[in-house]
Amino acid sequence: MPTDQQIFDKICELLKPYNVKNKPILRTSGIMSDLEVDSTAVFDLIMELEDHYDISVPMEVISDVKTVGELVNAIQDLLQQ
Amino acid sequence: MSGAGGTDAETGSGLSIFSKYDPLKQRASVLEKVGVDPFDMTFDDIMGPTRGRIGNREIILAGTNNYLGLTYDEAAREAAKDAIDRHGTGTTGSRIANGTYVEHEQLERDLAAHLGKPSCIVFTTGYVTNLAAMAGLAGPNDVIFIDADAHACIIDGTRLATNKTTVRFRHNDPENLDRRLSRQAITDGGHALVVIEGLYSMFGDIAPIAEFAEVCERHGAYLYVDEAHSYGVFGPTGCGIAEAQGCLDKIDFYSGTFSKSLASVGGFCASRHPEFELLRKVMRPYMFTASAAPANICAAQAALDAIKTRPELRHNITARAAQLHAGLAEMGFDLCAPASPVIAVRRPNEAQAAMEWNWLLKEGVYVNLAVPPGTPQSSCLLRISVSAAHTEEDVNAILSRFKALQDNSAEIMGEMMRRLQASA
Repeated sequence: MPTDQQIFDKICELLKPYNVKNKPILRTSGIMSDLEVDSTAVFDLIMELEDHYDISVPMEVISDVKTVGELVNAIQDLLQQ
Repeated sequence: MSGAGGTDAETGSGLSIFSKYDPLKQRASVLEKVGVDPFDMTFDDIMGPTRGRIGNREIILAGTNNYLGLTYDEAAREAAKDAIDRHGTGTTGSRIANGTYVEHEQLERDLAAHLGKPSCIVFTTGYVTNLAAMAGLAGPNDVIFIDADAHACIIDGTRLATNKTTVRFRHNDPENLDRRLSRQAITDGGHALVVIEGLYSMFGDIAPIAEFAEVCERHGAYLYVDEAHSYGVFGPTGCGIAEAQGCLDKIDFYSGTFSKSLASVGGFCASRHPEFELLRKVMRPYMFTASAAPANICAAQAALDAIKTRPELRHNITARAAQLHAGLAEMGFDLCAPASPVIAVRRPNEAQAAMEWNWLLKEGVYVNLAVPPGTPQSSCLLRISVSAAHTEEDVNAILSRFKALQDNSAEIMGEMMRRLQASA
């Protein structure tokens, strides 16, 4: 089971190509509001996470996630199920 | 708290109810500065399936999804006029109240027979069709699997459904669906409903439906295919891509629209499960909206007859799509998929695509501007839809405008910069 930090690091790595203005990625960063990742790209990012961790992230979960930290928590919850 | 029309100061929030749309307002403002707003343009006249008029300029229509060009078909027009004479202009009620006419039932029987399914239900629009059928099918314990590039009406269908879980799989990737179906434990008596499209309307790429059907069969999942953009165009008898790939009988639920090849307004969903008829009593978007007007139903019926009896329409559109695709490819344009009735030209960014869209319109060719979030992979597209009514000369004219667009690229972009700077 990956640690909270490992999940955060993986998300930062996958976010890089979508973070076109190269803004600092914090747990409090809003994925769409601060990092300016558009909604289509968010879904692509989620699919990469799904494939990496071999999980399914339901769309209903994604709609509740606003920040990088919330995404870390959501992935951790799904991995524990 | 202020009532309707309250100002920012009155609400005390500092923001009006429209403030959330400020980013949209700014984006629309940029589009207006480069010329005609592509999402708010009006033709002064439509003269036929391939010609419109703005002012005194004649425009070649190359973005109307009029795939078989039947909106001006004589039989369809006569059928619509006759329906108005016999039944008036509207039904004023839903199918379960006073809105079912013999023509609705006849069209349902004929569409079902064409597709070889025991059941078919007609709806007021194609959008409503997917909303109603998906929400009616997926219960609280079921899981809906949708393609990553699914159309908005499919996404909205999942939102209206009472199920708790919707999972996306990679676009046109049966192997990825296979993995996700394996991962997702369907428990508590639930089922998997997999939703794909035949022809994807933004890129014009085609789904491997037969492979998806095999995956669904292996997992006991139900397969729902939206052939809105492919019904009438593909397959030996016009039943779409599933027919062309020899798997029409494997499709559990087959939806389509009247507003493309069927030259009208409305939609339908057919099923190989006779129990699908039960859904008439539970689908809210079917039960609580007015049924399709008689003129629309009868025009669609006439278009269906044309699909069944005029295979030359499919031959024409295939030939014109191949001609246009080959011409654009030869010029070096970045095309999103092999030749199909939808040909999408990828552009580098939204501003350039909008400026080029305006330029093409000025030069007499109407295509669609398609930009994020309505497009896959955040693409900016000039999207062309070919019609069986386009002639070889029409396609040559469209190609010549794209060649001129390419040749005048620097001038067009310079003009855009001047307009943006002038309005800044």
